Amino acid sequence: MTDPSRPRAPFAPWDRRELPGIFDVDETARRVGHYKWIETKLFEALGGWVATVPELDIKLRLGTHCYHHAWHAELMHKRLPELREMKPDRLTVPPNDEMVAFVDALTQPEAAELTLEKLVGVYRVLIPHKIAAYTYHRNNTSRITDAPTIRSLDFMLQDEFDDWRDGEMLIQSLIETPEDVDRAAHRQAELEKLLLAAGGIAGPGTIGDPYATSGE
Amino acid sequence: MRKSFPADDLARDERFNRVSQAERVQDPRLGGSGTSSRAKLTPALRSAPDRARSLMHGIFTGEIQALEGAGRTCFDFEIGAGEGEVPFELKLDMARQCWDEARHCEISVMLADHMGTELGEFTENTLLYEAACNTDPVLRLTGVNRALEGLAIDVFTTMKDFGTIAGDPVLEFCEDWMLADEVTHVKMGSDWLRNLTAGDRDRLDRALEFQRVVDKLFSFNGLRGEDDESPIQLTRRFREMAGFTDEEIDDIAELSREAAAS
Repeated sequence: MTDPSRPRAPFAPWDRRELPGIFDVDETARRVGHYKWIETKLFEALGGWVATVPELDIKLRLGTHCYHHAWHAELMHKRLPELREMKPDRLTVPPNDEMVAFVDALTQPEAAELTLEKLVGVYRVLIPHKIAAYTYHRNNTSRITDAPTIRSLDFMLQDEFDDWRDGEMLIQSLIETPEDVDRAAHRQAELEKLLLAAGGIAGPGTIGDPYATSGE
Repeated sequence: MRKSFPADDLARDERFNRVSQAERVQDPRLGGSGTSSRAKLTPALRSAPDRARSLMHGIFTGEIQALEGAGRTCFDFEIGAGEGEVPFELKLDMARQCWDEARHCEISVMLADHMGTELGEFTENTLLYEAACNTDPVLRLTGVNRALEGLAIDVFTTMKDFGTIAGDPVLEFCEDWMLADEVTHVKMGSDWLRNLTAGDRDRLDRALEFQRVVDKLFSFNGLRGEDDESPIQLTRRFREMAGFTDEEIDDIAELSREAAAS
């Protein structure tokens, strides 16, 4: 039987979490606001596209995924006041005009024949970028001081990975000819260039700078 | 992508047959406009198998349009407090409804298969989606979430009862689950109606009038009612849970009686 009065360390021997993180409160709030903005734009677009897509299985998946991203937007919305932003709308903004141009281009297709373009934009461009941004954030923020953001990002990443797989499989099922491959690749390149200009979903530095070295 | 998407452009594959409501009710498999379709749906009826399968197919196409309507409400309106704008939280509710309606499509297409029906065996009309095209978000929410989702409460209750009488536990089980979602959707409509029209009596009156128009349109000439023999049961208990007052339920019952008498 252990002695309950015997002192124990505050962290168990297997708990290797460290205190420092690279984001302060303000930077975290800025990023969280951008995440909420893009999640909102995405769930709105997925909802809008449901009526425009004739393929029944895709129509139903878009309806399901619409809710996933709305929930992500809600999680980020609720996090903002905890980061001292009492007016969440103030930070619910795109990082720059280039990001607005990207979203405009992403959501532009409407015709029933353009399902491939709609899906490529979401599942081959935007969602992979969100996965990168959220992973960078969760791996670099303090695992102790910013644990609430990490917890939300982990839930979000689970959805993102599941939805990415769903979307990628739907895209592959739509591609039947070499011309379709070209269509998908062309669309992906077009949108990737716009997102490159934006610097990622949270603007330049979304996934850090791999060329930066300490002391320079 | 355009804001506001017309019903004529709703995207469908080649299995779907779109017709008018008038053509739809003339389907001879349902007894046409004759008296047999006015009888309560019970397994003893000769037309029961076709009527039940037609109703399930109608539920399926209705769920697709409900999904499309909720999705459009996510997209069509900007977030804000102005005229023609909606709160962020309302959009979140509509996104949740998208997920629910997508599941209902999955459930109803499986149930249709379970009942021996193929997709496209019966027709579709876009009346439901048309109610989701109103440019005033309050009227849209009231028409869809209070009138049409309210109708869904009645239809699912009817279908669940049919499953019970017919000894079909799969049908009964699934309808009960969908019914729970519909009560949630109607409550969303009731809550948002009160929230968005607080202090604006004129807008509230316009919304309730629009709901009345939609309710009348979907009263199916009095097929929905409170009598035990009504083909579609007006379900008072679930409507109360979903935020309807006794007076509002009385009003819908009266509309149905008027429609039956006309």
